[in-house]
Amino acid sequence: MIIFETVSGIRVEFRDVSKRFGARTVLSRVSGELSAGRVLVVAGPNGSGKSTLLNILAGLVRPSRGEVAYRNGEGPIARSRWFEHLGVAAPDMAVYEELSALENLTFFARLRRVDASRERLSALLERVGLPGREHGRTVGTYSSGMKQRVKLAQAVLHEPPVLLLDEPSSNLDAAGHETVAGLVAASRGRAAVAVATNDPREMAWADARIDLAL
Amino acid sequence: MRGSTLLSECLAVLGKEFTAELRSRVALNAIGLFAVTTLVVVAYQIGPYKIAEQDRPHVLAALLWIILFFAATSGLSRVFVKEEDSHTAKTLRLAARPAAVFAGKYLFNLILLVALDAVIVPLYCALMGYAVSGVAGLVLVLASGAVALAATTTIVAAIIARASGSSTLFAILTMPLVLPLLVILIQGTRAAAGSGEIGVVLPALRGIVSLAGVTLITSVYLFPVVWHE
Repeated sequence: MIIFETVSGIRVEFRDVSKRFGARTVLSRVSGELSAGRVLVVAGPNGSGKSTLLNILAGLVRPSRGEVAYRNGEGPIARSRWFEHLGVAAPDMAVYEELSALENLTFFARLRRVDASRERLSALLERVGLPGREHGRTVGTYSSGMKQRVKLAQAVLHEPPVLLLDEPSSNLDAAGHETVAGLVAASRGRAAVAVATNDPREMAWADARIDLAL
Repeated sequence: MRGSTLLSECLAVLGKEFTAELRSRVALNAIGLFAVTTLVVVAYQIGPYKIAEQDRPHVLAALLWIILFFAATSGLSRVFVKEEDSHTAKTLRLAARPAAVFAGKYLFNLILLVALDAVIVPLYCALMGYAVSGVAGLVLVLASGAVALAATTTIVAAIIARASGSSTLFAILTMPLVLPLLVILIQGTRAAAGSGEIGVVLPALRGIVSLAGVTLITSVYLFPVVWHE
């Protein structure tokens, strides 16, 4: 059993989670435990099901077996409302290339009904390493590393109590890795964080770890 | 998040759609190109005088809706297909309620359809010599038709986007759903063109509004399943 406990009282539990795609079993009976405010690292070779596990935790994929539950105190949170408590960044998630970084964050801030002021969002973009002169440029003209920074900003802009990061340092340089480390460190105190990675530097963030095998 | 209203989320999605579309112009170009090309070809080959007088009310009403329908289907499926193609669907799924996404994209498609009607219908009437006696009746038929057609194309677009965005599938799924609607729209347009009395379009309006209502209500229940599963 894995339990994320957060300062907001939300826990995410998953037990005996398995996932099959056709005849292929990607995950088999994954369980574990993580105490409040700690970082769970999910490690394993390519194809071992790290991203699938995070997708299951995010409610984007249903497990073939086992269960995932979000709880607020003792009461369960309906699956349809999990997304309200989540921040997610993953390689297969993009932001809008026709919009600028600032417009993207404004859009997601309006959807999440958090402060969408230009000052706050610009400060967040600066924090993930995007200088002010780049904020107005459409994301389609960005390098892959700059896009990754916008995706990270999108994931944390509402200060979610549950943060799921799939290969968060992918496409980033050394400075970008430090930025991600800073975001994880800042989130650790108030959020449950799960990181799927093969990067030894990211594995070092772990308070708990699940190793998946092929 | 808890304080977020459905309306504000819906308007955010609508605003995003407009900003992205005005910059990429993919749907606008597809719809505009199809509509203008078809209109010009029909006007050039058939024109106002190559249809027998007794056939004009039937043929002109049918041709108008053929142009509008196929122009609409050439671009309206983009609202969901582009989200899947550009990998933004997952990001949107985790940020907004399904109802807000559907409503925002439905409104976007509706506005595109109304704009298409506003541009194409006057041009069609002028090029084809289509004299409409009941302009108010025609406007009502066009407006209610846009409401119904936008609902159908939006939910079918959501379905086909999950099936790798096949435009062939879009046409196959849309056709049986809109066939009864198109028949009523053509009847309503013919009635409006033939008489200035609003009363003559009421039977068609009842049918169009009923179909629009059924489609919208079904979509509200169906969309969350389509969007998340």
